[in-house]
Amino acid sequence: MVIGRVKTKVEKSGEIVAYSEIAVRNNASVVEYCRTSMAALSGGTAGLLGITGFYGFGFYIFAVVGLWLLILLKAGSNWKKYFISRRMLLTNGFFGSLFVSFENITLMFVMWFTLKALFYYMYVK
Amino acid sequence: MAELLLDSKIRVWVFLPIVVITFLVGVVRHYVSILLSSKKKVELQQVQDSQVIIRSRSLREHGNYIPKQSFLMRRHFFNSEESGYFKTQKRVAVNQNPMTDPSMMTDMLKGNVTNVLPTIVIGGWINWMFSGFVTTKVPFPLTLRFKPMLQRGIELLSLDAAWVSSASWYFLNVFGLRSIYTLVLGENNAADQARHLQDQMSGAAMAMPPDPKAAFKAEWEALEICEHHWALANIENEILGLAGPFADSMYHQNKVE
Repeated sequence: MVIGRVKTKVEKSGEIVAYSEIAVRNNASVVEYCRTSMAALSGGTAGLLGITGFYGFGFYIFAVVGLWLLILLKAGSNWKKYFISRRMLLTNGFFGSLFVSFENITLMFVMWFTLKALFYYMYVK
Repeated sequence: MAELLLDSKIRVWVFLPIVVITFLVGVVRHYVSILLSSKKKVELQQVQDSQVIIRSRSLREHGNYIPKQSFLMRRHFFNSEESGYFKTQKRVAVNQNPMTDPSMMTDMLKGNVTNVLPTIVIGGWINWMFSGFVTTKVPFPLTLRFKPMLQRGIELLSLDAAWVSSASWYFLNVFGLRSIYTLVLGENNAADQARHLQDQMSGAAMAMPPDPKAAFKAEWEALEICEHHWALANIENEILGLAGPFADSMYHQNKVE
């Protein structure tokens, strides 16, 4: 039971860095929002482009990595100010994270994935 | 296998309604749970107790940064045999069963009403209302093992495993829409964890120790054996840059004692 516990990490250089728990959480939730939107948009895109089969999942991985690169681009050279580690930022998306687990996001991708089928070829006109 | 075509009325009257109903039920549930949630009432005495314990804990953890006399003074305030706070304050040991506490009961009931009940009722209703439709198809091949998962309600051997039945589409929605809720309902929904965090920030352990007497005793013991090591002994040299900070004069969480 600690109030506003300060998270610390010892750098390789021996320097001690302190993180604000609240800020870390806030950043994670912002990334989470981006990721949710990304899953919906990329799922819809994959569906509309007519990508099927495992290429669709290739597209999903491409989207996840792409989002990661975009976030790093946005954070720029001082990404250390916003995130603890770059790799965690990517793998959190794959292996579940703070608020919404990976399965949910993937499911959403799949839901949007069916979009084209829904309006184009699956039903009798 | 011949391409299967579905009636487009299925799309309008089964597929889309399930999505919309699932989504709206989630939203309504969110707001109902906000309406029903009751603020926990806190006794002044309990807040005082928990704040005192937090102060004492903080003294134990950070006492090395204040001079020895100040440290002893504060410890005296808590631990002195005649006048110490932990010694003089007599608290009645509360030992209550959570089941007999009526507010606890209503909280549990509310949790059930907002979470379990809608799931059963809406799920059952969807199963009854929209049973037995093939609604959609996932655009990738699946093995036969997925059939019971994706084709609940339709036991058809010859149907390709990629087709999704209405009941399974509902479950897919229940889980898939969860991330949309965080997007739409925002912080308040993502809140289960954020709210805990807030409690820690503002209420400072609103979750007061269930039994202040035992907590006081434990804290008294811990404080009693706490020694004072003046951490800033070398601070002038450190500030002037004559000597680097010593590992033991720094506080951080990963520090090995």
